Amino acid sequence: MDGFAQEPVAVALLAAGVRIFGRSLKYHRPRGAVCLDGHCSSCLLRIDGVANVRSCQTLCRAGMVVERQSGWPSPKFDVLRAVDWFAGDRLDHHSLFTTSSVVNRVATGFVRKLSGLGDPPTAEPPAIAELRNFAAEVVVIGGGTAGLAAASQLAEAGHQVILFEKSHHLGGRLLDGACRLGEPEKDQPGWEILGQWKSQWQSHAGLEIHRGTTVLAVYEGDRPQVLASNQETTYLIDAQRLIICTGAYEQLPLFINNDLPGLLSIRALDKLFYRYGVVPAEPLVLVGNSDRCLRLAYDLAKQGVKLAGLVTQTQASEGIEKLKQAGVPLFFDRRVLRARGGRWLDRLELAGPDHPEPDLVLDCQACALEGPSSPAYELAHHAGCRVSFHSHSGYVVTTNEDGRTSHGQIFAAGHCAGALSCTEARQQGEQVGRACARCLHSVSAEPGGQHG
Amino acid sequence: MAKTIICRCEDVSLEDLIEGFRAGFHDLESLKRYTGFSTGFCQGKSCTAHAARFLSALRGGDDVVADPPRTRPLLHPTSAASFAGQITPGSDRKPT
Repeated sequence: MDGFAQEPVAVALLAAGVRIFGRSLKYHRPRGAVCLDGHCSSCLLRIDGVANVRSCQTLCRAGMVVERQSGWPSPKFDVLRAVDWFAGDRLDHHSLFTTSSVVNRVATGFVRKLSGLGDPPTAEPPAIAELRNFAAEVVVIGGGTAGLAAASQLAEAGHQVILFEKSHHLGGRLLDGACRLGEPEKDQPGWEILGQWKSQWQSHAGLEIHRGTTVLAVYEGDRPQVLASNQETTYLIDAQRLIICTGAYEQLPLFINNDLPGLLSIRALDKLFYRYGVVPAEPLVLVGNSDRCLRLAYDLAKQGVKLAGLVTQTQASEGIEKLKQAGVPLFFDRRVLRARGGRWLDRLELAGPDHPEPDLVLDCQACALEGPSSPAYELAHHAGCRVSFHSHSGYVVTTNEDGRTSHGQIFAAGHCAGALSCTEARQQGEQVGRACARCLHSVSAEPGGQHG
Repeated sequence: MAKTIICRCEDVSLEDLIEGFRAGFHDLESLKRYTGFSTGFCQGKSCTAHAARFLSALRGGDDVVADPPRTRPLLHPTSAASFAGQITPGSDRKPT
């Protein structure tokens, strides 16, 4: 199979028409790529003899061996899907096969053979990583809008900044093709801002950026300690100040069969279309209300991609007018009730806001949905920072007006701290960068004070 | 079979959450332990917020889900080769 260098395996597979990546753990329901952002478990494959590799985060290489790791006899036709049909509404693992000890023993033995996620590796074990342990003035976690804005501010003020970004590309949402920043009149694409920042960094000696390096833990202490790793190096850094800009995870909304292959997040479609020129399948349905969703629908239509419709609550806007002119079918005031299809999405059932029965069926082979975006609060929570629940998104890292968390040395900005747009994330990032620089200045100004 | 899946890693459905709630698990931590959401490969990145919304809607307020379940390192599944044989400086620090 062909793929481009610098293109993730999952993207190459979608481009080649692969729809089913594997089967789910319990009911053996088919799974396809969903987030393309490295946070869900739907695209796991066995790559070069190692199981459970996120294929959306692994770049193609010539001669790579990519295998599906679940489903018998094959992921396309898995006899254990029968579990899903027999289980009915749900399978209660608390009481299943507990009627007699003999039944229980037989069933346990059987389940042990079936369960587990992938087979043990056959590849040579990787080399032991080199450990680098040192102290740093500021560590920034996340090279998205907020993280880059904060790091730029600090580096400009002459501070030593170490930035970790888990993906191979810097920019986060700035790289999304439908991302725009600023007020409508100076609607600036994210990549333009990224380009400006990159050219400024040439002159900042103190900025050290590690791409493809995931922060795995933040340990609490007088100074937060950051554990990060890529395949070659493990970093353990004592940070004088830490700025958490981990962004947010796109989630699929809840409806019946919301796990069918063919359903993916709007950001995943954005990435596929603008960055890699791939459309997963046609006809395509988009479900979402934001400007970026409307822009994506318009650009898809303009490129001749067959759209079965856009389901949206947004009625009167410039974007909607453009879509009407482009002839995209628009469906207002409806929600997705159910996805249908055997192993792959083939239609969506929609209903009015308070109607339990579908009143519209859209035939489609793929559907991108804008679900709630759940802030990535985990690393802040490791360090004991306070978080609060917001029902429209999820757990948000609590910050004061300077972006400082409940831990005095840790700041947070961007979508993980409640920003709802890239414009807001950028503002928060810059603000936190300035606040952090101020507090580093005041620390070094104190007599003997390096330990703030 | 028609299911609304909350947690794709562990195949936890909306029906499972409803049943867990009926069985008396009315807070996020115990509902997590009963149903198993947030205990799979992704460690809750795709489901914790959904489950919290479910509980807060049923119990009529965000206060009941004010705290998420304890989050522990590591954030992502990581090869043991990243840590094997490393003498950890600062090993007096304990994960919370």
